[in-house]
Amino acid sequence: MLRREITAGLEHLSTATVALVTTAGTLLLCGGIALLRLSWLGKRPRNPPYLIAGWILITGGIAAFDYAWDAEVGMAYGLIALSLVAYLVIAAGFDDRAHKSPRLLREVALEPEDRPANWPRAVAKALLSIVLAGIAAIGVGVAFAVAMPMGAHDRIVVGGLLVPILWGAGMAWTLSDAKLLRATLVLGSVSAVGYGIAFLPKALL
Amino acid sequence: MDQRVEAKPKKRQFLPPEFVRAMLAGHSALGLAFAALIFIVCLSGTVCVFINELQRWEQPDAPVVTGALSPDVVGAAVQAGYAQAVAEKAAHDMFVMGPGVSARLYVNYHDHETGVDGSWLADADGRLVTRVKAPFSDFVGGLHMNLHLPRTWGRMLVGLIGVALLSSLISGLLSHPRIFKDAFALRRGGSKRLQEADLHNRLGVWGLPFHVVVSLSGALLGLSTLIVGVLAMAAYDGDSDAAFSVILGPRATAEEATAPVPDVAAMMRQVQAAKPAAQFTSVQIDHVGRAGQVVHLGMRTPGHVALGNTYYFKGDGTPLGDGGLETGGVGQQILGVLQPLHFGWFGGYPIKIAYGVLGLALTIITHTGVTIWLARRRDKGRPAPGWEKVWAAVGWGQPVAIAASAIAALYVNASFLLGIYLAVVFAALLLAAVLPNAGVLERVLRLLGSLAMIGAVGAHVATWGIGAVDPMAWIVNGVIVAAAICLAYPLARAVRGSALVSAADS
Repeated sequence: MLRREITAGLEHLSTATVALVTTAGTLLLCGGIALLRLSWLGKRPRNPPYLIAGWILITGGIAAFDYAWDAEVGMAYGLIALSLVAYLVIAAGFDDRAHKSPRLLREVALEPEDRPANWPRAVAKALLSIVLAGIAAIGVGVAFAVAMPMGAHDRIVVGGLLVPILWGAGMAWTLSDAKLLRATLVLGSVSAVGYGIAFLPKALL
Repeated sequence: MDQRVEAKPKKRQFLPPEFVRAMLAGHSALGLAFAALIFIVCLSGTVCVFINELQRWEQPDAPVVTGALSPDVVGAAVQAGYAQAVAEKAAHDMFVMGPGVSARLYVNYHDHETGVDGSWLADADGRLVTRVKAPFSDFVGGLHMNLHLPRTWGRMLVGLIGVALLSSLISGLLSHPRIFKDAFALRRGGSKRLQEADLHNRLGVWGLPFHVVVSLSGALLGLSTLIVGVLAMAAYDGDSDAAFSVILGPRATAEEATAPVPDVAAMMRQVQAAKPAAQFTSVQIDHVGRAGQVVHLGMRTPGHVALGNTYYFKGDGTPLGDGGLETGGVGQQILGVLQPLHFGWFGGYPIKIAYGVLGLALTIITHTGVTIWLARRRDKGRPAPGWEKVWAAVGWGQPVAIAASAIAALYVNASFLLGIYLAVVFAALLLAAVLPNAGVLERVLRLLGSLAMIGAVGAHVATWGIGAVDPMAWIVNGVIVAAAICLAYPLARAVRGSALVSAADS
């Protein structure tokens, strides 16, 4: 299977070149991540030369993956490699004493907002974040799928993709906003507009 | 996501503390509400990345088919499948999948009216050799995709879990004002809460592209029926099939007159004449052998994430266009990459292994999210020992339950697997009631999970022997043993540490 995948990247390059460029891309990502680490965790935090050089190397690494494997596949490979390289760099810099260091002992965790347990409010929040945010998100997604001036395929799929994004964002917002009425009004209005646009053509027929 | 800030913030912060505290409260509430379900879906999803390898592990005597299939082999597999379907009075819809992601030539036929369904594995010549028998893989797949609930409701619930995960990623990022400053800090020792927060945040931030892609694609796959249902009401007079056909291509018509089985080999040659590099991935024939039949032929060309483009044909070979999944419009290409990006089926074993690592990271993020909340309560003098034990039972009970299901799948009927899985999950919760604290419970369940994994390997060897079988079986056995060692390793360290302390004391 690996051979077939390598062959997939070979339409314009030889196997050796693909392997070489992929290795070079991985090394660039390693170098970039290491420089970012030096910038953010080193003795001189936010060292700008390291920061800029780090991002340049990371961009170069992803570009190398794109060159070796074509943009579509190369971008996916490059981002996966970036995550794994970062995990490796973090694991390599694992610190077993840091919580004892004076600098970090000065730091405290920010606490979540204190919200006393209130079951009716919790149920209302759940209804808002799960049900009403979902209804609003589906309304906007379907309105997009019905009304956007694009090809049928594009507007349906992009509209569908909008639903989980909007639903997730709505969920995050309603759960963090202490004002239930505001969230209800906003989500209710968005739903009304969304379903209005989605069902208006049918209603006019 | 938990994080640290300076105790005496002098500088103006990018995210105001009040906003961060509100986001953290929302993040905690959402995480706690969905934690167990997200954890189960993430863990089973990580296993599902390797579901094709697990199928080979479960049936190591079945033929392994690799490389590109010729049109004649595919044609032979279709004909053989149709003949078998007719013999079983199940010749309604047919599906043949090539060895692209599975090293298997899979043939399925199904009649939704009679409910008869048959799945076979064919050899490299397209001859049906043996029926598919992979109950454990089916079980794990069902756990991930619909939590073994009724199909439509289960998929919608999993879609909602995907939305909750996506929402947690959004609120987690927005409650992380030191995202860059702490980007590489992984510190052990001192407060358990800060230690877990480091792990939670580092795995979360650097794996973000993966986490967003799998949660978004999973949510869309799970919610597609609901979304298309509403779309159908708005624009297709309530006909979901009509809405789906816009996206997924033409459907078979109701013309029931007998017709020849489509010549799939000729269709493949037709595609390859235009795209010589195209390789067979799958073929779906709806209403096979009827005048209204329609063929969806999947062919993959290099350089794309999509598993293949779909080419549509009438039963007589007349082309009906294609799905544009590789080079079509934005929507078509998004549709093409959804499944491979979700499961990591686009780059061979290196990508599968990377997805395994990143999937495990997401599972750990979910687990540590709750342990951070529990540790925070303990730090503030409001410990919740009962919930600590429940969470340890839910989290560490899963490897035991899944491994027990794998052992059972080798010996009992597939219909018992869900019951066995649930029994082990409940047994873990009962242990929580008996054992003194979450730490002891975690150690016991780690040990049991490790033993159950070794037991699964032992049971597999006892069932299949050490003779000539698919080499994948040995690789999977090796990976399971390695996972068992990793699961038990902290226990061995703890025992060694205790022994050293005892020796020093004496």
